[in-house]
Amino acid sequence: MHLSDGWMIFVILAFTMYIVLDGYDLGIGVLTLFERDERRRRDMFGLVAWLWDGNESWLVLIALTLWAGMPLAAGIALPALYIALVPMLWSLIARGVSLVMIDQRAGWPPLSGRVFAISSLLVGFCQGAAFGGLVAGLSAHGGSFAGGPFEFLHHGYAVLTGVTAVALYVLAGCAWVYLKSDGETQLRAARVGRVAVVLLAAGTAASWLLVPVAGSTTLDPGAAARLPVCIAGTAVLAAGLVFALRSFSDPRARRPGRAPVFATLAVYAGGLLLAGGLLYPRLVPPDITVHAAASPHTALLFMTIATGALIPLILTYQAYGYWVFRGKVDLKQEATTA
Amino acid sequence: MSHDTLLDLSRWQWALTAAFHITFPAVTVGTSVFLVVCYAMYMRTDDEVWLRMFRFWRRIFGVGFTLGVVSGIVLTFQFGLNWGSFAHDVGPIVGVAILMEVVMAFFLEAGFLGLLIYGEGRISRRMMMFSACMVSLGTMLSVTWILVANSWMQTPAGYKRVNGQFQPVDWLHVIFNPSFGIRFIHMLIGALVAAGWLICGISAWYFVKRRHLPIARRGLSVTLGVLSILVPLQIYVGDSVAGGYVAKYKLPQLEAMEGNWNSANTGENVIVIPNQDAAKNEWQVTIPWLGSALGAKDWSGHTATPGLKLTPQSVRPMMLPTFYGFRAMWWPTVLMIAVVLAGIALRLRGRLYSARWFHKLLVGLVPIGFVAIWAGWVLAETGRQPWLVYGQLLTADAVSPLKPWSVLTSLTGFVLLYLALLGTYVWYVVRAVREGPGDGPLAEPPAPPLRSEPRPGLAPVG
Repeated sequence: MHLSDGWMIFVILAFTMYIVLDGYDLGIGVLTLFERDERRRRDMFGLVAWLWDGNESWLVLIALTLWAGMPLAAGIALPALYIALVPMLWSLIARGVSLVMIDQRAGWPPLSGRVFAISSLLVGFCQGAAFGGLVAGLSAHGGSFAGGPFEFLHHGYAVLTGVTAVALYVLAGCAWVYLKSDGETQLRAARVGRVAVVLLAAGTAASWLLVPVAGSTTLDPGAAARLPVCIAGTAVLAAGLVFALRSFSDPRARRPGRAPVFATLAVYAGGLLLAGGLLYPRLVPPDITVHAAASPHTALLFMTIATGALIPLILTYQAYGYWVFRGKVDLKQEATTA
Repeated sequence: MSHDTLLDLSRWQWALTAAFHITFPAVTVGTSVFLVVCYAMYMRTDDEVWLRMFRFWRRIFGVGFTLGVVSGIVLTFQFGLNWGSFAHDVGPIVGVAILMEVVMAFFLEAGFLGLLIYGEGRISRRMMMFSACMVSLGTMLSVTWILVANSWMQTPAGYKRVNGQFQPVDWLHVIFNPSFGIRFIHMLIGALVAAGWLICGISAWYFVKRRHLPIARRGLSVTLGVLSILVPLQIYVGDSVAGGYVAKYKLPQLEAMEGNWNSANTGENVIVIPNQDAAKNEWQVTIPWLGSALGAKDWSGHTATPGLKLTPQSVRPMMLPTFYGFRAMWWPTVLMIAVVLAGIALRLRGRLYSARWFHKLLVGLVPIGFVAIWAGWVLAETGRQPWLVYGQLLTADAVSPLKPWSVLTSLTGFVLLYLALLGTYVWYVVRAVREGPGDGPLAEPPAPPLRSEPRPGLAPVG
């Protein structure tokens, strides 16, 4: 195995951690759009207030594992996705500030509450659009981006993947709220969660089937060795969706309420397997491969040792944070401080 | 023409978003140290005043931290978004340095920030102390790696170029490049000094209003004491930066920042109106002798300062931002020294807590450290132009091939968003200061937002 394949483990780890962790808190942000009751909205907010910034660190790590480890890919993909990523950055700024504003003032201030919800939605949408734009293929020439500013849209394909990403994050948000709450809040999360599962199933299927039509990327599962990966991915993804739908409907699953979270994790795992199976070794389809994009050996070696030593430490203290803030939301205590 | 427009827009976007960002780390590095001190004193003495100070400054720290995080994400992406060729060429070196910042510092700060801000009542006092230390350590490691990356761009070392890409050959030379050590110390002290004036000024405001005096007294005393050491030290370090690295490795920056075209001036220029194209000053005010004395340490006044004509026209930095960047850093520092000396004199005569004119002056000095930091970075970054990696990679060759209107749109968006943000931040700090740390008996730790143990059975909720 080449060192660049080893480095891809960190890229994939950062990507997975980000969509799993920030996925749920972005999803909760979108959920507050549908929630009219102020106290319940505040509850949901209480679930993201204390760890969103640790979650967002993984987004920065995606950017850096790509830039430092796969500089050719970063140098092509980022300018190509400018129109999708700049609004994502705007939304992240607005979201961070609205979180602070909500946190610092008692009650649910209407303006910051709305900004928090809409920016969460936009972040998810832009990320999905950027991912779709990348998967469908970006033109490159001589090591830099050679297409137009809207090439990544691929006749609206990126809009489809954007909506799919929002559905995925909403599912993750519902699963998390379901785990961390009870009573009416939990029931409502289950209701929205079921809708999200259906949307996500349709969006995922359409997204993968349309790739060969949308852009320049061809979708051949390629070597026979990778076909089982694609089949396994599809199976895990489908099983996760079915399991999510069932667990949201099963009253016996409400306590401790972990089932939807596991179902969502299965959806993520299946989706990642499928994407990896279909795209690898391409990193920026159609032409740029992992090996071509990789940093020189001296850089990869240094990064692999340093990052490999630090990631377990990071996971430990992040897990400690989750442990300190474990348990369900307490509405009574919340009411006295709000 | 279109390429020049694109280059200018991309540079302005970088400059404005970076200047905005640097403000917040400058607040958080120093305040995090202050938080550690307050909590350590509280643990040692059990004195409530220290706990109250800890909680009060934690609020101001927390919001500054959040703004630092979100504006930092913007910079991380901008390396690739607007400077795609740069991202490709220096990824194996600058990218790796910033990756180290993320895995060593960014995660550490974020991991313990939640505990620091929301953990009271859920974690022990020792764990709270540990969290404060980890957050503070994170802010400093962050400064370290950012300065590794930037200093390498000022004085590249330990690399070879393969097909245009800079590839590391010796990591020790990359990290400990010639300008890293001294510039790191310079920036770290700068950040501590800036936060020092912020805390000092807010404490002084309470003296002016005669509120929260026990807290104000400690804040003023501690920060002025620290500033009395750090400000003189910073002048010494700054002089080493100018003499030790700028003069040695980046002579064109020295030529531009001293405002001379010909190498005949032994005086110190105070004001210049440069004409870059004609390579002359339209007007200048010069103090004789001083340039030789301060710059070359030749007290006889016979050593002339090198002029910008020594550098070929195509690679000359712009004199205007370089010259005034240096002055906007230097003159506030002179003022800082004067104020610190006045503070020492007042303290010796026992009038530090009663001299109202002095307190009012300190309130006015709240932004002074930030002005010096912005100016210093303007000097360092414009002084390196037209290079991105000094002597190796031209800024003009590194910009992403975007449409100028794309960059204009994003730039407009960032400017509007950041103006709103800055307004919100100032409003927030002013409000937090007005509310103050409170004088009444200390309440119990704020009730935690979440319950610590899962409740047995289904309780009626909602």
